[in-house]
Amino acid sequence: MENSGHLLELSGVAVGFPEKGRGVKLVTQGVSLYVDPGEAVGIVGESGSGKSVSMLASVGLLSGGGRIVEGSVRFLHGEEYIELNTLGQKELNEVRGDEISMIFQEPMTSLNPVMTVGRQVCEMLVLHTDCAGEERRGRVLDMFKEAGLSDVEALYEKYPHQLSGGMRQRVMIAMAMILRPKLLIADEPTTALDVTVQAKILKLLKKFQTEYGTAILLISHDLGVIRSVCSRAAVMCGGRIVEQGDVENLFEHPQEDYTKKLLSAALGKENVLREAGVKSSGEVSVRVEDYSVFYEEKAKRNERGKNRIKDVPEGKSRLSALSALLNGKTRREVVKHVSFELYAGEIVGIVGESGCGKSTLAKALAGLNPLTEGKAWISCSQPQMVFQDPYGSLNPAKTIGWLLTEPLRLHRIGTRQEQYRAVCEMLDKVGLGEKYYGRYPGTLSGGQRQRVAIAMAIMLRRSFIVLDEPVSALDVTVQEQILVLLVKLQKEFGLTYLFISHDMNVIHRICDRVFVMYGGEIVESGEASQVFLNPKHPYTKKLLSARL
Amino acid sequence: MRYYVKKIISLIMVLFLIMLLTFIAFQVIPGDGAVTRLGVDATPEAIEALRESLGLNRSLPARFFSFLGGAVRGDFGMSYHYSKPVGELLAARLPATIGLAALAILLIVAVSVPLGLLCSRREKGVIDRTITMVTQTLMAVPAFFLGIIITLIFGRILRWFSPGGYVSPGEDFFGYLSYMLFPAISVAIPKIAMTVKFLKTSVLRELKLDYVRTARSKGNTERAILWGHVLKNALIPVITFMGMVVADVLAGSIVVEQVFNLPGVGRLLITAISNRDYPVVEAVVVYIASVVLIVNFIVDLLYQKVDPRVRIE
Repeated sequence: MENSGHLLELSGVAVGFPEKGRGVKLVTQGVSLYVDPGEAVGIVGESGSGKSVSMLASVGLLSGGGRIVEGSVRFLHGEEYIELNTLGQKELNEVRGDEISMIFQEPMTSLNPVMTVGRQVCEMLVLHTDCAGEERRGRVLDMFKEAGLSDVEALYEKYPHQLSGGMRQRVMIAMAMILRPKLLIADEPTTALDVTVQAKILKLLKKFQTEYGTAILLISHDLGVIRSVCSRAAVMCGGRIVEQGDVENLFEHPQEDYTKKLLSAALGKENVLREAGVKSSGEVSVRVEDYSVFYEEKAKRNERGKNRIKDVPEGKSRLSALSALLNGKTRREVVKHVSFELYAGEIVGIVGESGCGKSTLAKALAGLNPLTEGKAWISCSQPQMVFQDPYGSLNPAKTIGWLLTEPLRLHRIGTRQEQYRAVCEMLDKVGLGEKYYGRYPGTLSGGQRQRVAIAMAIMLRRSFIVLDEPVSALDVTVQEQILVLLVKLQKEFGLTYLFISHDMNVIHRICDRVFVMYGGEIVESGEASQVFLNPKHPYTKKLLSARL
Repeated sequence: MRYYVKKIISLIMVLFLIMLLTFIAFQVIPGDGAVTRLGVDATPEAIEALRESLGLNRSLPARFFSFLGGAVRGDFGMSYHYSKPVGELLAARLPATIGLAALAILLIVAVSVPLGLLCSRREKGVIDRTITMVTQTLMAVPAFFLGIIITLIFGRILRWFSPGGYVSPGEDFFGYLSYMLFPAISVAIPKIAMTVKFLKTSVLRELKLDYVRTARSKGNTERAILWGHVLKNALIPVITFMGMVVADVLAGSIVVEQVFNLPGVGRLLITAISNRDYPVVEAVVVYIASVVLIVNFIVDLLYQKVDPRVRIE
């Protein structure tokens, strides 16, 4: 075959999974794409678009019997092309890791939990090189340093669960890059990470691309991530590539409707859903004063005795604090003396990285954590909550109707018939309709489930609702729909939202006011447009600059 | 270190409780040790004299503490039936039981790990289906029935061993082993069946996890993935299960010992119960409880060795 100079060439690739019976279900079709040596190419699309599937199939890593049923995948191996699709297992194993390496979305689950990270990286050298014990260790330690990890000697002996998400991903990158592969396939490498960590990881990838000349094939649903790393990109939808080309061109002048839709959903930074200056009635809905929230944890040995009885604050929680001390537990102050007011009819956002205390604050306000101090006054009893993961938070064994009726049943509201009518009405309001009454959560998509979760929160007509990352697990276009729905419901029922997110864009689009949390404190607050245009606190600035 | 000290203290406390319960249980059950030994026709004077010499006429707490004190020193008193020290009886029976258990456990591990891995590698294949079918059937067969079948086939028809024979390991170690082998097989087979099934499920669950994909992406062969990455993870739940099996086997495969006529602890227990030989029964119960506790303790340690996530620092 002629040498086109491309490093990787997919032509007309169709990936199929075996179906019950004898058929094959095609999930991608006619995927053609190339990557040149040293180049960074992105594939963007929503979940289920086939972007990961086609890449995993190319290197034979699909599970569940999925494989390439049509088309070819060629890889430049030395001077010659090899056909990855038809390569024997032994030859494929030689290419994998050595010339093509991969990093994945979830660095926690992608590393072996019972093997030290040092050994896991070292395994690459064992598999593909002849270098001996001491030399191997040295190379791994050097690689750790290059991947921006510190205290590498100690790190070598650590297990994945002892590291933070960002460190684990750095370990994954060190593992993938230690043999200086020609191609790195990165499958959603930053999706599970915090924004500020995301930016650092992407920078690291770019560094290796230029220093090692490694080509990168970056798969992501996040257009910002693609744009910051790649020079070319392909947009996938429904198993096909709908558009591909130069990244800037693609984003500035999208040709296809789908690309436009994706762009407007993702980059709708100017597209604020709330008309400016929606005035609330001025009536206070929530008042929080000098509010702290604690977590109890088993005291670590070196910390034992640090918290003495005299440190236990006065107040009604003193008793529980004392008993915690006696049980050898320490209390960690996760939210530190925050004070704020929410007015009826407002949407207020809280942004911050994971671990900043935003979810802890939300849960405490919803009454899910009793270890609090200070005052929190809420105009309605039992504020409802919507959670991030619509898969985990709905009981899979119950129908949608049953789940939505439950709050009414528990509070003995209305007769059975009235309850049924109320549920159907609510299903209509969240855009699902009566036909979903008898369905089970397992048969719904993520977006539909989140609609159910929202309906469940509104069922009792509480005026204050806490939303904890309600759209973070959803695809961009679905995110958009849910945000629109939330704004609509807010107007209709006159609700007050406390909206928690790590995503600055989402907050910007939906919130009237915003609080920025850092280390358990609110470091900045104000009108959303003001905070975003004119951030005062250095941490807010950092968050905004990390936004891609 | 602190953790281990705590663990050992709780171990001792549980043992104490078990001894207390055992002691009380034997006070509550009807029947007097002295009457049992002398028969109902004995004169009241003779019974009273025996009660005196056995210490049965003392107060309950006093008897409990002398029982406890004795137990700590390994002295469980005299057997009513054999008129020998219980400790001596137990010591004589231990080689058979421990040998049986050790051999059975060895068989279980040596057979079920490769079989479990084989099944999971060839999932839904002919080998897997056959093994699954066979293990499913064997799981339902009680060990004593297997013992009878094995005795019949290998002992009577093929004459590979002489059923009912036994030599102590001190006399003829290989002879001892050959007498132990078939009883061990009948103890091991149902447990092997369960372990294979357990391990297979565990391996299949692990194979679906992300780190396996990472291991593949590094260029590992399937074999290396299975032995190098998956096995250790898959063994974590199996260890708990194996702990139960080991305790079960060590505590005496009572019925199997009976079937093969092995002079083990199990048979000692059965004879002692039918003879109301309470000191012996008490001693065996304490032995079984200690074995279960100690094995559990070892499993805890092993768990921490294998799974760094539960390691106590």
